[in-house]
Amino acid sequence: MSDEARARASPSELRATPSGSLRAAASRLAGSGSLYVGLAIIFVTGCLVSDTFLTAGNQRDVLRAVSQNGILAVGMTLVIITAGIDLSVGRMLGLGSTLAAMLLVDRRWTAAAFFALSAAVVAAGVVSAVVARGLIAGERRDGVSRAVSCAAFAIGAALLALWTFPQVGGGLSILAVLIVVPLSGLLLGGVSGVIITKCRLQPFIVTLAMMTSAYGAARLIAAGGGSGYIHSLYDSEGRVPAGVDWLRAADPAALAGLIQSWAPAGLTGLLNSAGAKQVFDLIPVPGLFFLVSLAIGLFILNRLRFGRYLYAIGGNEETARLSGINVDRVKIAVYAISGMLSFLAGVLACAQYRQGKPDMGGMAELDAIAAVVIGGTSLMGGRGRMVGTLVGVLIFGYLTNILSLRGLSTDVQLFITGMIIVVAVLLQEGFLQRLTARRRQAE
Amino acid sequence: MTETAPSGTTQAILEARHVTKTFPGVVALRDVSFAVVPGEVHAVVGENGAGKSTLMKVLSGVHADFEGEILLDGRAVRFEGPRQAQQAGIGIVHQELNLVRDLTVAENVFLGREPLTRLRTIDRRTMNAQTRDLFERLAIKVAPDRRVGDLRIGEQQMVEIAKALSLDARVLILDEPTSALSDRETATLFSLIRRLKEQGVGVVYISHRMEEVFEVSDRITVLRDGEYVGTLPTPQATRDELIRMMVGRTLKSFFAEDERTTPGDEVILSVENLSLAGAVEGRRTLIRDVSFDVRAGEIVGLAGLLGSGRTEVLEAIFGVHGDRVRGRVCIDGRPVAIRSPRDAIKHGMALVTEDRKATGLVAQMTVRENLSLPSLRRLVRFGMVDGGAERRLADDFIGQLSIRTPSREQTVSNLSGGNQQKVILGKWLAIRPRILLLDEPTRGIDVGAKAEIYHLLRELSLRRVAIVMASSELPELLELCHRIVVMREGRAAALFTREEATQEKILHAAAPGGKETADVR
Repeated sequence: MSDEARARASPSELRATPSGSLRAAASRLAGSGSLYVGLAIIFVTGCLVSDTFLTAGNQRDVLRAVSQNGILAVGMTLVIITAGIDLSVGRMLGLGSTLAAMLLVDRRWTAAAFFALSAAVVAAGVVSAVVARGLIAGERRDGVSRAVSCAAFAIGAALLALWTFPQVGGGLSILAVLIVVPLSGLLLGGVSGVIITKCRLQPFIVTLAMMTSAYGAARLIAAGGGSGYIHSLYDSEGRVPAGVDWLRAADPAALAGLIQSWAPAGLTGLLNSAGAKQVFDLIPVPGLFFLVSLAIGLFILNRLRFGRYLYAIGGNEETARLSGINVDRVKIAVYAISGMLSFLAGVLACAQYRQGKPDMGGMAELDAIAAVVIGGTSLMGGRGRMVGTLVGVLIFGYLTNILSLRGLSTDVQLFITGMIIVVAVLLQEGFLQRLTARRRQAE
Repeated sequence: MTETAPSGTTQAILEARHVTKTFPGVVALRDVSFAVVPGEVHAVVGENGAGKSTLMKVLSGVHADFEGEILLDGRAVRFEGPRQAQQAGIGIVHQELNLVRDLTVAENVFLGREPLTRLRTIDRRTMNAQTRDLFERLAIKVAPDRRVGDLRIGEQQMVEIAKALSLDARVLILDEPTSALSDRETATLFSLIRRLKEQGVGVVYISHRMEEVFEVSDRITVLRDGEYVGTLPTPQATRDELIRMMVGRTLKSFFAEDERTTPGDEVILSVENLSLAGAVEGRRTLIRDVSFDVRAGEIVGLAGLLGSGRTEVLEAIFGVHGDRVRGRVCIDGRPVAIRSPRDAIKHGMALVTEDRKATGLVAQMTVRENLSLPSLRRLVRFGMVDGGAERRLADDFIGQLSIRTPSREQTVSNLSGGNQQKVILGKWLAIRPRILLLDEPTRGIDVGAKAEIYHLLRELSLRRVAIVMASSELPELLELCHRIVVMREGRAAALFTREEATQEKILHAAAPGGKETADVR
């Protein structure tokens, strides 16, 4: 990125006159740093136009508000770097929230339980098989590796089944939901990936189909309970299942209560302390999930071979294939990750609004794509950074926050947001820089 | 140096004066001057990275920000983009073909300025008729309504040239026009160039092939490291002098050393009855029953005309065509199942492909990332990419192959063609291959880099790597290879040892209609 900054600045630096060097510095900022400048401008504007903007409470609200879009955007960044797209994330979020609500509240084998648990069991098996083969069998591709894979699949699937199936009668615990639902999302995303790679279809059309089918499935499953499409987490006495409020409001004491049955006393004590309260006050649990997914995404892109392969495939798929990269497997994995993250966002959304419904997350895919693109990731693939996505998500979040702090209606907010997207991407593409360069040439 | 135009004091059509162009970390051109007069063929030669392509891009408006000036008919102009240059009568045919494969020939020629009917729809009849007229004038025999993707490379090249000329170009820039052409197609191109000359068009001709430059040009300008070295009238120039000007020292011959390596006895790679069934996209050539052996340290050449199946043989061995390949590939005498490039790499094979941009490099990645791509699995520590080991590997190969780049973090597309080729070689040498497959490894690169690559191949041969090399340049095959397999229409038509092989014999065996040789082993 600093290379790029140098590249853009160099022609102007060559003819460095006193005013020219100032301009060069300005255009350098406008070039590569414009992302951060944009965020800073929005942040400063927020401080100026509203007293409440800078308060810890408001900052926490922003982080909470962006976390679902943020989690989707993390997966979307990985997908877009491979020159793909995942349009299904919004509807997948809705399906995830529906499944989460029904698993938590309905104490019987509903359609949601059948669907989510069977998908999760298969996904758990696949994940264990892949991990086991990577760890034990390495590069071998023979009977041993096949045996290891089969055994790991059976063990993984069985463990998850043994843990979760007995819980169905009493409603799944929040921890089980946090594992089962994202795992089933992993499987659904993987299905998109398999269709894209094995049938050689465009990601746009496959994920568009997945988007429609996920919505249909969510409605079918939601209607199956007979109580309409919306599944509330409240029971007849107005209470929600244990742990839901923690996922939503970040009360460390609630978490301590939730885990004290099996966690060491020291940990529950720590969670009950005032310090923990302060930390969780600033970073709400959904925000924590977002930041952790972001950190994992960052780690994947910068440190893992898998991350490097994403860039290579997005940059030139044929070269990647000829260099011995298993392109199909990498692409399947990236759609699986995106599916998993959308279902995770679905669980958080369910806790946030204390209900699950198929309509949740409609059009969320577009917000996620916008955040990724504002963050400088190229829709053509091969280029992009996770930090950019963080900034893109924050620009979105702060903007909405400021507009609503000023009391502007949602309609106005949407209108302005649309314009900001265009401006932000123009800045990203070095529009200002080109403009100043042209004027300089005219002089 | 004297600047003698062939027609005395004729006013130059297009002139560059004191042009300097910089890229991040590189000065591509430094104070270069250059002129073309009507009716001359002005050749520009120089090593990779000498600035030839950059100069042409400045002249044709692709690079708009540079220092110095451009004069058109003696008046200073500044092109804001290629379109303006085109309208001013400057046509350019880039090294890489820029045609839309799914459009017809006529649609490509008229792309962006289609003739319209009264209803504002495209007037196909006029378009085809005008294209036919244009082609007749240039003696090009291609039907205007054919799909460009179905044409042979040589025909596509002709379409590109016709397209550049269709705007009444007064200057035509040809950047390495013959690198993909057969000898016959090259001859057609040359007669076309001579016809243009008679019509008063100024032709700028960039090539690495000395013979062509001597054959076709009137004046030769030499660039070195982005600087102007000199201009000679072709009749007064000698090959040795040009090479001295290009490299700044005297090279005894293209093939610097003559020590011959002797291959071992054990067969490393054995190909038996290799066939490729089913059409490959855009190419109709298949291969049938190709068999040959490669011993340790042996360099086997694949000769043949364009489209004779050379590339397909290499691709079939390397698993590019997956399950569509029939026949057996044995390594160390044992049959191996290679269904993908990944399998091939696991068996110690590497394939340097013909097309750097499409299959060799990831253009937006850095030199380091490209070099480590196939060997990344060996650079992993605790599941993570070992940054230090990766940087060492990159520096190693940048040094070993003397890749000219400001840093290992330079984006690879900013490098010159020859240096990009070295990056591709480096990335494959990094997996320490036992079998190295090369497809046109010296296509479009300069003498200096060629010599370095020849030297490298000899060294690999000494290290007992089995090498298969496809090339359309017979002199290099004759010089380097221990044995040469001649391909004709998808079959192995003949096999010559180094001692038997001559240019005539190979050409004879490669020409369609010759008699078959059953077993070439």
